[in-house]
Amino acid sequence: MIVVENLYKTYGTVQAVRDLSFRVEPKEVVGFLGPNGAGKSTTLRIIAGFLGATQGRVSVDGHDIVEEPIATRASIGYMPENVPLYPELRVREYLRFRAELKGVKRSERKSAVEQAMRDARVDDHAEKLIGQLSKGYRQRVGLADALVSRPPVLILDEPTAGLDPNQIREVRDLIRSLAATHTILLSTHIMSEVEATCDRALVIHKGRLVAQGALEDLKMLRRAASARFTVRGDSSTAEKKLRAVPGCAKVRRIAVPEAKGEHDVHVFELRWKESQEDTASAIEQAVSALVGAGLGVREAQPGKATLEEVFAQLTEDEAGSATTQEPSEDAEQQEGKPS
Amino acid sequence: MRGFWPVFKRDLFASFVTPAAWAMIVIFLFLQGLNFYWLVSHFVNQVDLAVDHGPIQWFFGETVLFYLPLLMLPPALTMRSFAEERRAGTIETLMTAPVSTPAIVLAKWAAAMVTYLAAWAPTLLYIVILRRAGPVDWKVVASSYLGVVLIGASFIGLGVLMSSLSKSQFVALVLSLAITIGLFILGIGEFIFDRGVAHDICSYVSVWTQMSDFSKGLIDTRHLVFNVSLTVLPLFMTVRVVDAWRWG
Repeated sequence: MIVVENLYKTYGTVQAVRDLSFRVEPKEVVGFLGPNGAGKSTTLRIIAGFLGATQGRVSVDGHDIVEEPIATRASIGYMPENVPLYPELRVREYLRFRAELKGVKRSERKSAVEQAMRDARVDDHAEKLIGQLSKGYRQRVGLADALVSRPPVLILDEPTAGLDPNQIREVRDLIRSLAATHTILLSTHIMSEVEATCDRALVIHKGRLVAQGALEDLKMLRRAASARFTVRGDSSTAEKKLRAVPGCAKVRRIAVPEAKGEHDVHVFELRWKESQEDTASAIEQAVSALVGAGLGVREAQPGKATLEEVFAQLTEDEAGSATTQEPSEDAEQQEGKPS
Repeated sequence: MRGFWPVFKRDLFASFVTPAAWAMIVIFLFLQGLNFYWLVSHFVNQVDLAVDHGPIQWFFGETVLFYLPLLMLPPALTMRSFAEERRAGTIETLMTAPVSTPAIVLAKWAAAMVTYLAAWAPTLLYIVILRRAGPVDWKVVASSYLGVVLIGASFIGLGVLMSSLSKSQFVALVLSLAITIGLFILGIGEFIFDRGVAHDICSYVSVWTQMSDFSKGLIDTRHLVFNVSLTVLPLFMTVRVVDAWRWG
């Protein structure tokens, strides 16, 4: 559905996107994951036709964006970052304008607008002025706009940015419900968002694709890092027991403020070796070892790696393996096996 | 021309649903009304009138009072067109819709043009008032309004171009004013240089010369060519500027 080949984008001397290649298959929900400034928005803007690529090819639904710009844009529903809207229009007026702009036929326009408002759940605010809407509703109006011409492809740039947790859940549910009928490419810098909504993730860092793969692979990356234990009892015994756990690379004691007043409560962070695959059973072993030593285990928490840690890991790999290779081979090599 | 109508309608709606256009039209009509009142009061005391120096000629070209609003209205009407879309970011939704750039540019120009004509429309009442006092040469009225439309079209074209050059409405306004007032001042050079190339250039670009010809019923093809080129060229450049954003 979306094919991006060797995409480059240079702003002056800054290379925002470097040799990016990926595909999104029909009816797939793909998360475009990366820290701020990684080139996510730039890439999405190029696909949506707002920016031109410095080099490389992009095609959407079989249309090349340079040769058939109008046909490409007609097949995409794009929601830009921060959802720019006209504050002086009412929701229904705005969507009618957008439908007409996108070439929805006059006879179908009314029903298309009503349907989009229902799908994006803004039908209860149809007559409100956009300038008076809350952030969450603005986001939904943006989504309704993306949906209004029934395009096969949706491109959503940070669809949950700036929303409160309830709104985030609603938008995610909405995206999941659209997944059955649309090909969706969405960007985010929040890892759990990708886990909640996407089938597959593309990880981008400094304009380069550093990993892509199914969500399971990504989860593995997150899980592998560490575990945290809150233990009551003698700290040196606990530390010794934890060090003896198979797969343990390092044990570190952490000063935690909530343990104040209870002098014998300690918190340890255990870092797993990279070879340690099954950390769940290792945690089990650690807990039984601690309990066996007469210590009280108050809490055992598998530490999830933050996105930053995953990036650090991925970019280290890249630096290690890519120095002698062409960058394009590098991207292909990492495909499907983020290590 | 895909996308012309929706953008045209929205731009027109945006200017009339907010107080902006109304405020401008009210100020414009107040100033022109004052201008007309001065002229009528002046002519009431005149005993005999020369054929081509009546109130219509004076209103449409012989006094500086006419030019001040003429020079200021188009920049005020066009300052929003692209600058505001870029500031608010809505240009992104506009340009990712399946529409052609010329259609967007033309729609924005046309919307400002319609607002401009709406501001001028009530001044037809002045002619009706004059008609009650004596005969009116309708050909002179027609050519005068043709001048107003042509000069407005070119100033609005220039204004749309200036609006595409900045994200700030204020900067767009200042740039457009600099051009309209600059052209006017350049035209005054006609009275400074007696002859030669400088005189010809100044008289060619002079808004004053154009309007005083039009207000005498004189339709000079040079004025037509000048104003039509000054409309088409900026719009063409605007299309280029808008397309260039993609590559910035």
